[in-house]
Amino acid sequence: MTADQDIDEEKLSEQLQRLLTSIEASGHAVLPGSNDALLQSIVETAAKIFGAAAASLLLVNEEEEALEFKVAFGPGDRDLVGTKFPYDQGIAGYVFMTGMPIATSNVKEDKRFNQDFAKSTGYVPNSILATPLISSDDRVIGVMEVLDKIEAASFDMHDMELMGMFAQQAALAIDQSQQIDEIHQSLVRGLKRLARSDKSADSAELQGVLSQSLENSEEMPDLLELADLFNQISALGEAERKACIQVLSVFAEYRKSTSTYRRFK
Amino acid sequence: MSEEAVRPAWSQHFATDAIQELLAKGPFAKITPDWAWGNSTGKGIRVAVVDSGIECDHPALDDCVHGGVIVEYDSRSENQFRIKPDNKPTDVSGHGTACAGIIHSIAPEAELYSVRVLGRNMGGRAIQFAAGLDWAIENDMQIVNLSLSTSLEEFFGLFHDLADQAYFKNMNLVSAVNNIPEPSYPSLYSSVISVAAHEGKDPFTYYYNVNPPVEFGAPGIDVEVAWNRKQFLTCTGNSFAAPHLTGITALIRAKHPELTPFQVKTVLLSCAANTKRQNK
Repeated sequence: MTADQDIDEEKLSEQLQRLLTSIEASGHAVLPGSNDALLQSIVETAAKIFGAAAASLLLVNEEEEALEFKVAFGPGDRDLVGTKFPYDQGIAGYVFMTGMPIATSNVKEDKRFNQDFAKSTGYVPNSILATPLISSDDRVIGVMEVLDKIEAASFDMHDMELMGMFAQQAALAIDQSQQIDEIHQSLVRGLKRLARSDKSADSAELQGVLSQSLENSEEMPDLLELADLFNQISALGEAERKACIQVLSVFAEYRKSTSTYRRFK
Repeated sequence: MSEEAVRPAWSQHFATDAIQELLAKGPFAKITPDWAWGNSTGKGIRVAVVDSGIECDHPALDDCVHGGVIVEYDSRSENQFRIKPDNKPTDVSGHGTACAGIIHSIAPEAELYSVRVLGRNMGGRAIQFAAGLDWAIENDMQIVNLSLSTSLEEFFGLFHDLADQAYFKNMNLVSAVNNIPEPSYPSLYSSVISVAAHEGKDPFTYYYNVNPPVEFGAPGIDVEVAWNRKQFLTCTGNSFAAPHLTGITALIRAKHPELTPFQVKTVLLSCAANTKRQNK
């Protein structure tokens, strides 16, 4: 190992800690720990706000041209999650294809509702309010449904308009959370690749991925700095890389144990 | 957040206690619903439904659908879309069939054309929508029902231009406002007939709102509508309010073919349920 590649381990871990803290402070900390937790909190909140017995959220699965139940709250919730159906079926399919919300009532009598499917989940609602989740660039990324208004026969226009506003916020949070997840995945992928490659590997690919993910984003300089640092570490040697992984793991564990109060304060 | 801050912006104007009474005087007082559309069936009026398609053989439609087109998103073509004829239209969801059913129930002899702009590829919704409206303008439709809108700011100019073209070609665009109170095009342009939902059930009872941009309120809450696969369902949304005004506009234009789009709007205002006629 040459002298100029020799980096003081303590200094390095300090730098990494500072960078990881800044990434977390830049956005991740304001969201629940994972995308699933975020989705769960969205549907539970929606059910409470709109006085619904149940709520669920479906996201687009583009490869299968299907909508997939990601989370559900209320009766029959466990059976729903993971279920998929084509875009052109059921109330949610309609909302997805048109990008328009809909409220329907007397659902049990309405043949167009996917009755077989509802029966198989053991839960057939009386009333539904379904709203598209539209990202800031006008993509329909999913559908949110609240089911069975508790104190009325159906959801009304007031519910629909409020749900529209709520869904806007939810779509932004989901979109952002998905982007952060993608950044995390890119970082891990980039690190794995770099760890496998020789010392002369540069971080152009990783930087490219990050630049794309973080265009117009304030935290980009920090993340690029972090990516660069990872690249430098990868060039140091096996012992240094192992030490770095240990430091990062300890740090991640430490953050998990201390950041809870910030997330749910 | 205060109650005031979260109150919805559009349909509140048509809540029973919010509707303001208007006054029609002089010659305007002579414009009555009976004069405007009495005995009219909308015969011969060409109405485009820019939507998810129309299930043309739905029992609620009595063969009123005369043809149509499908606008598909095509990222490789120069214009980003392609248009295919659709002589026996179908519906990919049921939304367009619902709108067509409402129009037909009010104007049974109007000729409906399906302009399908929705499909599985959601990437180019706004451009498909614009291309569908453009087709309706180029193919001499007289009324276009638009129970959909875009909130994309970059389409403001394109839709405004299309709305102007339609206006100067003597067409009425009837546009549902978005169900959430944010800007949506073309519903917020002054030349269109913009519609939100009110709680009433009578298809001919609609209101005029003195606080634009949403000008008209028509039934759109728990409305019984036609749906694809020959079905019927109960729906709520501004989407179902707009076709009521489309149907009434078809009746007016069939009975008074000489009227221009702005005269049609004047007639609609004079016949609104909250307009009181002062006859002296």
